[in-house]
Amino acid sequence: MATGGGAGNKTYSFKVVLLGEGCVGKTSLVLRYCENKFNDKHITTLQASFLTKKLNITGKRASFLTKKLNITGKRVNLAIWDTAGQERFHALGPIYYRDSNGAILVYDITDEDSFQKVKNWVKELRKMLGNEICLCIVGNKVDLEKERHVSVEEAEGYAESVGAKHYHTSAKLNKGIEELFLDLCKRMMETAQAEERAKGNGASQSTTSRRGVQIVDDDPQAATAAGGCCSSA
Amino acid sequence: MVAVEVEKMLRLAEQCLERVKSFKIIDSGPKYNPRPGHRRVLSEGGGVVSLFLPPEVFQRLQTVESQDTRKELTPIEEASRLNQKLKANCEARLARLPPAQARTQKTSLTLSLQRQMMENLIIAKARRFAASGTINGEEQEQRVLYTNILEYEQDHDWPKLWKAKLKKNPDDATLVTGLVSCLLSCPDHPVIKLLKRLQYRVYNRLYPIVSKSLPASPALPMKPSRSTQSLLISDSHQNVSKSGTGHSLSSDLDQEFLVQDLEMHALKKHLKAIVKDIHIAIDQLLSLCLLSFECLNTANSKDLCVASIEEAFFTPIWSPLLTLFRKVHRERELSFESSMRLYQDASPGDVGVASKLYPQDHVVLHGSYPYESAVQELRLLCRDCCPQKKLECIVRTLRLICACAEDYCCLHEADSKTAAIGADDLLPILSYVALHCELPQLVSECAALEEFIHEGYLIGEEGYCLTSMQSALQYVESLHTGGFQLHNTKSA
Repeated sequence: MATGGGAGNKTYSFKVVLLGEGCVGKTSLVLRYCENKFNDKHITTLQASFLTKKLNITGKRASFLTKKLNITGKRVNLAIWDTAGQERFHALGPIYYRDSNGAILVYDITDEDSFQKVKNWVKELRKMLGNEICLCIVGNKVDLEKERHVSVEEAEGYAESVGAKHYHTSAKLNKGIEELFLDLCKRMMETAQAEERAKGNGASQSTTSRRGVQIVDDDPQAATAAGGCCSSA
Repeated sequence: MVAVEVEKMLRLAEQCLERVKSFKIIDSGPKYNPRPGHRRVLSEGGGVVSLFLPPEVFQRLQTVESQDTRKELTPIEEASRLNQKLKANCEARLARLPPAQARTQKTSLTLSLQRQMMENLIIAKARRFAASGTINGEEQEQRVLYTNILEYEQDHDWPKLWKAKLKKNPDDATLVTGLVSCLLSCPDHPVIKLLKRLQYRVYNRLYPIVSKSLPASPALPMKPSRSTQSLLISDSHQNVSKSGTGHSLSSDLDQEFLVQDLEMHALKKHLKAIVKDIHIAIDQLLSLCLLSFECLNTANSKDLCVASIEEAFFTPIWSPLLTLFRKVHRERELSFESSMRLYQDASPGDVGVASKLYPQDHVVLHGSYPYESAVQELRLLCRDCCPQKKLECIVRTLRLICACAEDYCCLHEADSKTAAIGADDLLPILSYVALHCELPQLVSECAALEEFIHEGYLIGEEGYCLTSMQSALQYVESLHTGGFQLHNTKSA
């Protein structure tokens, strides 16, 4: 869903979905990222300037956030969609991640189970969205290194095997978060640019069709029942 | 046989009622009736039917058809008629001028007369071209429409005035909305004529489907003729073991299932086709609008333009459109209703809201219940008649939820700092709010929004709010099956 602006002066709009079990720190991660005012040191090292604009609707809302950035002269609007980690809302995943350009899959390094959940998400995303989506696997809470239950080698190896990138973060210490998002943005831009090139003639717009992704069927029973016997007009 | 007679009498009565209503509604417009008893919303499904006007009446309610006899004339005849009119006007104006002034003005008036007469001939040529069948239907229609616009602008000054104003301030949003609302108030303008025509077409397709009363009686969930699923639904909260009877249905009933399945399939197909028609209609209207007013062809103005067109387009047809959505999503609404009844007295904690996010102390609530303001706001959604407005209502609901959550958090002063409302917190609260709304039609409303909200909005905050609402609704629907265990401590 990267959309072009004026010629040569384009603005990318990316949707990033945040997935992971409850309590792994998804929300704090993104809150850290969007609330933190820009940090001079990072700008010089990463050659990027950050312009923060948080859609902070009521002081403490953190389920939907936007951030505007400027990366190597290109404007990027990030829309970050938080999802509920509870198992009972998982069936509703597809309507959240449809049309996403990127996904951040968060696990807690002290919780083996949360890493398993990440693996499940990866499988589902690859199955539903293919290779178009940029995946980031994030081991959060590195401040609790002593209680680590997911080994670095295992996590990084797994990420590589599924074409994802792995990051170590700590929302508490504000570690690794800027890098994670900046890296993701760059990758999404590359994907969008490759897509544009593939389309040829440098068309600045690469919008998906009106209903890009099928909406999850509301009623599986009805769908199967109507499946075979229908010839009516 | 008796049933047939009764059916006939009912239909007759219904027709009478429609007649009477059509007279009554003429000045108030078709409006949505907020239902007094929420509990009965679904069962009233059959009763809503008679609210819809027959298409003829609907059309009469739209702007009265202009009595143009012009259709009889060929393009060239038409042009010459117009030119004669122009000439007469010009001569009349000249005659009104004082003699001294007349001499100087005469030349300029004559010049402008000549220019306009030339334009008329160009239009005539365009129309003749349009009439010669060498181009395909769509192109031809476009040309005819364009010619109509040119003609209209010759007869009316206001488009020129607005264009001049906008040229000076192309980015002035108030000017843009001013122009669009001016346009919408001109029933003779080709854009508006097209709007009425397309609207009528949609209504005409909807009417036969939504005015047909359902084969089953209002008390749907209780009837054995419904699918096994709804049997389970209505019984599950009383006695799960009863569900066994669902399998021993006679072949008569099986037959009925089949018919119902076919019917549902046909309904879904209709819905899909109508949704597509509406998308095409809106696109068509927008492009004609931009053709008339090129100055509106900027990203921001276009958005404003679409919003106004949509509001005008959807308002009179939303109610029958929603009725169709409700028919298609009936099973889902029934599930929602069952959960609603089951969880009537549930506390936020029962649907998984963290205890710090709602007050347990009844004194604090002053006799109301948690998140009441959000519930009230969400109920208003059904009052609006256009998708964009409804979406705004959902956004407001979510904001109110966050505001309430923050307030409640402050009551637990101990850890007021950790009160970021992420999705983990938001969805359970939203589910609680949806349950307490007691409006199963929300399911269909949101399904309709999903179809009509633009892609551009879906990536932003509005899209996030709609998606969250959809998730919460689906969760609520699933509650009554007991697949999800109640959360936390269900207080005795």
